[in-house]
Amino acid sequence: MPPAPCLYLALLIPALLALAALVHQPPRATLRLLTLGTTAAVLGLVPAIATVWSHGAMTAADGWLRLDALSALHLLILAVVFLPAACHANLYFRAELDHAGFSRTIRRFAALWFGSLAAMILVLLSNNLGMMWVGIEATTLLTAFLICTHLTPDALEAMWKYLLMCSVGVAVAFTGILLIAAATAHTGLPLTSALLWTSLIEAQQRLDPSLVKAGFLFLVVGFGTKAGLAPMHNWLPDAHSQAPAPVSAVFSGCLLNSALYCILRVLPLAEHVSGHAGWAREVLVALGLVSMTVAAIFILAQRDIKRLLAYSSVEHIGIMALGAGLGGLGVFAALLHALGHALAKPLGFFCAGTVGQIYGTHEMKRLGGVTRHVPVWGIGLILALLVLIGVAPGALFLSELLMLKAAVDQHAYWIAALFLAALAVAFIGVLRRTIAMGWDASAPPPAPPPRAGLAARLLVGIPLLLLLALGLCVPAGLADFLRQAAAIVAGGQP
Amino acid sequence: MNPFTDTLLVVLLLTCFLLLGTSRLAAGVRLTAAQGLMVGLLPLALEGSTIPLRIALLAGLIAFLKAGVFPWMLLRTLRVSRTTRVTHPLVGYGTSMLIGVLAVGAAFWLDARLPFSSETESKLVVPVAFSVMATGLFLMIGRRTALDQVIGYLTLENGIYTFGLAIVSGIPVLVELGVLMDLFVAIFVMGIAIYRISREFDHIDATQLNTLKG
Repeated sequence: MPPAPCLYLALLIPALLALAALVHQPPRATLRLLTLGTTAAVLGLVPAIATVWSHGAMTAADGWLRLDALSALHLLILAVVFLPAACHANLYFRAELDHAGFSRTIRRFAALWFGSLAAMILVLLSNNLGMMWVGIEATTLLTAFLICTHLTPDALEAMWKYLLMCSVGVAVAFTGILLIAAATAHTGLPLTSALLWTSLIEAQQRLDPSLVKAGFLFLVVGFGTKAGLAPMHNWLPDAHSQAPAPVSAVFSGCLLNSALYCILRVLPLAEHVSGHAGWAREVLVALGLVSMTVAAIFILAQRDIKRLLAYSSVEHIGIMALGAGLGGLGVFAALLHALGHALAKPLGFFCAGTVGQIYGTHEMKRLGGVTRHVPVWGIGLILALLVLIGVAPGALFLSELLMLKAAVDQHAYWIAALFLAALAVAFIGVLRRTIAMGWDASAPPPAPPPRAGLAARLLVGIPLLLLLALGLCVPAGLADFLRQAAAIVAGGQP
Repeated sequence: MNPFTDTLLVVLLLTCFLLLGTSRLAAGVRLTAAQGLMVGLLPLALEGSTIPLRIALLAGLIAFLKAGVFPWMLLRTLRVSRTTRVTHPLVGYGTSMLIGVLAVGAAFWLDARLPFSSETESKLVVPVAFSVMATGLFLMIGRRTALDQVIGYLTLENGIYTFGLAIVSGIPVLVELGVLMDLFVAIFVMGIAIYRISREFDHIDATQLNTLKG
């Protein structure tokens, strides 16, 4: 397919679906639209991803829209998260079909769902840093009300915190974009193309180095807030724990990554102007290690399963930032890690959400014996947690091992040591809870849950199989694709 | 030196001090409206004698949104949340003003060390932009009600916009429109959020939204 229709299609389908979801119809039909519509939107991404996979980058709309290996990989991550999340939403909300006012709630939910999907795709397709920013801010605003789908005081509090912290963070990022625009003043770039990523990369020799560096710092703090990097992560555990499970899955697997993606875009620019001395990469290494450490400590203190998963997201975003900061093999590992995390974390949230619905609580102490009482979801939860802490042969074990190798190859032994220490603490913190939840027979069983149907089995089984397969061997085609994406982060070749 | 520009910037700086000193929320909203008007006129003043249509239209749109639509939306929110003034701010008004003075001093000091001002029309733009940004951030942290935080956010946004005018010679119109649309949706969403919070909690004191911890 030629590039232009490919990219327009990817953007237009979810935008139109957001409007369609507002049409008044019975809640059951809206739920069906949510699942089928998301499937359609994901199918709409396939030609774009496939073209980039086989033929390389493509551009449309006078260079404003562009898809290369890095953004196509993130589109793939988005598809991997949104499709199962929409299927899970269908199961998750079924319990509430008869609630009064649910029809309005679910229509608003579906419209915002497709709206945020469109905004995230806009972030990934934009070649213009300004439009990328517009997309990120739009995701904040559109997802805010998804957090308080159930209007409880706690959910409102989480929503307000998310809205304010991320809006301010993203405003800071805008200052960074202004600084980068100012850095192009003496490059002779015309105004209309000054913020296009491709022109910035071409003109990188002539950019004002100090302005780009200052801009990079602002962007890292700003988008880092949205990505959940510590110490700007305070909104994250609240929002993830209060949102309905499918929304938490999207937040964790995709929203955080799209903010990190924006940082990865400007990383090669900042690296180039600082003479490839590793200045910009060190910023990411430091933030990554801080995030991992903070998350590991907080994981030890968690009692709520969804908050535990949320802190684990802070840890994993930290791991990805660290990998990107290490460079070389580390970038490859970080991208592989992002893919694995996008499979495992949403699965964790689906299972935790459904188990929570059945038990009526998210408190881990009261979820004893989940593997026996709620077989499919319970086993899924335990296995997802094990994959997330890096138990072999899961996909995350492989990417963490590669990252360790990257650190050791560069003789960055103290980074490797800190990395291992944080991983170990998180490992112990999660495993302790997992064993109690999985096999503690003393806890009272919940009311007998409805039998998990085929849909539930597939929703739990497929991601687990994929995680296992990815952990055992990365297919050559995918590895090549990941290498292309990593080359963009490392060298910025357009 | 362009006297029109400098007048706008001085008024902008004054609104910051008034914002730091007022306890009435409605007055705060009106002050952001005044700020919005100044910020809307600023690109016209910086442009000099001949103003391209594109810039004039954008300036009109910005002034219309920031001085008309946003204040109207916020005043409506204020009415439904039935809050008029804040009784116990986290930082007293006198102290706030003092911090404001220090922030302006710091902004001029910082500007002297950065390369921006040598290239701009007016020597005041960058330090005033920094002061406005600092005021916005301070209002978001140092005040209690959710509405104060929105006022702070708008002020921060005005500061960033002014800074952008000073250091970038022009942002593509499409991006500028996107940013404005986001800002509009932000104020809209925050308004609804405040309304929900006031219904659920009977107050909009953001410092009391503190049950989620750890």
